[in-house]
Amino acid sequence: MKDLEQKHFTKAVGNANEINELLRRFGVKFGIYKNGVFNEQFFPFDPIPRVITAEDFACIEKGLVQRVDALNEFLFDIYHDKKIVRDGIIPEDFIYISKGYLAECEGITPKNRIYSHISGIDLVQGKDGVWYILEDNLRIPSGASYPLIARELTRIAAPQAFEENEIVDNRGYAQLLKETMEYANCGGIRAILTPGRYNAAYFEHSYLAEHTGSVLVQNDELFVEDNMLYHRTYSGGKTRIGVLYRRIADEYLDPLTFLPESLIGIPNLMEAYRSGNVGIINAPGNGVADDKGIYYFVPKMIKYYLGEEPILRNAPTYLPFYKEDMKYVMDNLEKLVIKDVAEAGGYGVVFGSDLTKEKLEEFRKTIIAEPRRFIAQEVIDFLDLPILDNGETVMRKADLRAFVLSGETTRVWASGLTRFSRNPDSFVVNSSQGGGFKDTWVLK
Amino acid sequence: MKRVNFYFSTKLTFDDYVHDHSFALRIIPPDTDTQKILSCSLNISPCVPTQQTDDAFGNNVTAGYLKGDHRFLDFEIKGTAEIDCSKHRTDYMPCYLYQSGYTQPDERLRAFYDGIKGKCTGTVQDRAAYLCDALSDAFEYQKGSTDTDTTAAQAFAIGKGVCQDFSHILISLLRMDGIAARYIAGLAFCNGETHSWVEFWTGDHWEGIDPANNCPVFDGYLVISQGRDFRDCAIDRGVMFGNYTRQLQLVRSVLT
Repeated sequence: MKDLEQKHFTKAVGNANEINELLRRFGVKFGIYKNGVFNEQFFPFDPIPRVITAEDFACIEKGLVQRVDALNEFLFDIYHDKKIVRDGIIPEDFIYISKGYLAECEGITPKNRIYSHISGIDLVQGKDGVWYILEDNLRIPSGASYPLIARELTRIAAPQAFEENEIVDNRGYAQLLKETMEYANCGGIRAILTPGRYNAAYFEHSYLAEHTGSVLVQNDELFVEDNMLYHRTYSGGKTRIGVLYRRIADEYLDPLTFLPESLIGIPNLMEAYRSGNVGIINAPGNGVADDKGIYYFVPKMIKYYLGEEPILRNAPTYLPFYKEDMKYVMDNLEKLVIKDVAEAGGYGVVFGSDLTKEKLEEFRKTIIAEPRRFIAQEVIDFLDLPILDNGETVMRKADLRAFVLSGETTRVWASGLTRFSRNPDSFVVNSSQGGGFKDTWVLK
Repeated sequence: MKRVNFYFSTKLTFDDYVHDHSFALRIIPPDTDTQKILSCSLNISPCVPTQQTDDAFGNNVTAGYLKGDHRFLDFEIKGTAEIDCSKHRTDYMPCYLYQSGYTQPDERLRAFYDGIKGKCTGTVQDRAAYLCDALSDAFEYQKGSTDTDTTAAQAFAIGKGVCQDFSHILISLLRMDGIAARYIAGLAFCNGETHSWVEFWTGDHWEGIDPANNCPVFDGYLVISQGRDFRDCAIDRGVMFGNYTRQLQLVRSVLT
């Protein structure tokens, strides 16, 4: 595998600067708030692609489809009969203490029973070649546009790389997304809602709108009348919206159902949605399924809902909520990674090995006081990937965000976002933590 | 069993024109095992088309959108109902066991509960009655010291409040004690305003308790809306645009 990457690397490397220059010129950026100030950051691209063999990808694909199907079943169950809780598979507390559980969504069935239309599943590959699931992102995961545009630009800068390698074309993402949106469409146009250009994913919103033939809208152009969602047109008319892709948080979506102080929502959107007059991508309330505490239970969900053995593994995870797990966590804290279930984006992640003796003791007390707040995981020794750093090849930690789209069938996009850490000692690869990205090549 | 006539109205007046006014009303009393709505009419002025939906908590929601300029919006319901508290409601939801936005206790409220929980024993009904008594002794009824945004913890720190505050604190105490509880907005005592009280789950049905009056709920209480706390039950919520600086709300209710 390493030889293979090295080979591709030599093909593309001469063009690294050219590609990054193109990315800058095309405005490929993401926004980030740090200390209350908004900055747009260039998301550095590394020209050495991650290469996944057809065999490896086939296994990942099967496992991801299975996982996302089970998560969709779980969401339907939680907002209806709650059989999985009644049958004792998941303790009630884990559902109702989760910030992602929204009682306001009880009883709502989205069109075709799909809650997570776009799922971003983060994986890492261990040194032994085994893939592990790190987390599920079911609240409109971002990032698909970066590898898309990078591939486009690499094609311009290094066309020979694609002539000589059997790489699955990833340009079908927009078509896949369009079909997924259409399957959730309740009658009307497709729209992508953006909170505006001061949002981390603004670049992505405009890119996806353009490529899926959707209208890019802001909330003040939308209104709900007669229980339908409408887009105000420039001439003073209105166009009905049948499906709305949005990335704003659930709690801000409708000030008449959720936070009254929200200025970025659409009043009565939830009434139109509950009545089946508009599809929302992804469904509000999905946070209960991608909660770090619920992650532990996903393999159990696969068995419970599908009657199948999980194909992809979770990283070995412990819940201090359970007595025996608490004991293990207390005994092994210095070698585990602890995650705060309420945090996202690489925040709230603590490696036991980084803590001093006093800090470890302090942290033990915090975990004992609030066992439900944390999960503990074994640190996976994951495969390093080569990246180009000032003309030299160095090895860095990297993960893979795979995109799974649920429409008429559940499909995995044959590409993905490979993020790497630029810091040689860091395992945290999130873009908001200063990492970079690579293209992901799936071989034919 | 008691037959009641109810009337409720809200007049919203603005000091300048507003437009693009979206609203969601939880104003039509639900038909339940303990109250049969024999008749109910809703009038909204200025005239605007509305849509009826049900929300997650079993409330009737009336949604509407008034696009053009207006300076007032009035809602009015009147009707007749048959109330029978000897019957039981069983529409349980697990979320009622967990603290919500308004009921989340702070250290002071938690300490209050810790101080009284030793004596909180017996059946669920006994425990609820005991917590309601303890609250009555520690909290005083007074208008003007809190508003609709005041949480249970904030009101408890002030020591005085209205029915909404009594309800939030009692719900917080009940949930700390492991008893599922919900907030009720409705009409009682025909005192000209809306009232609020609490229902707790006995294990197989809901029972009503009125913490502001420290008494059980009887056939003179008409439920209008219900939920985890005030936020789920607000009788009218709206979002509007314009240059108004003040909004005046007049409420009138009659129950006979």
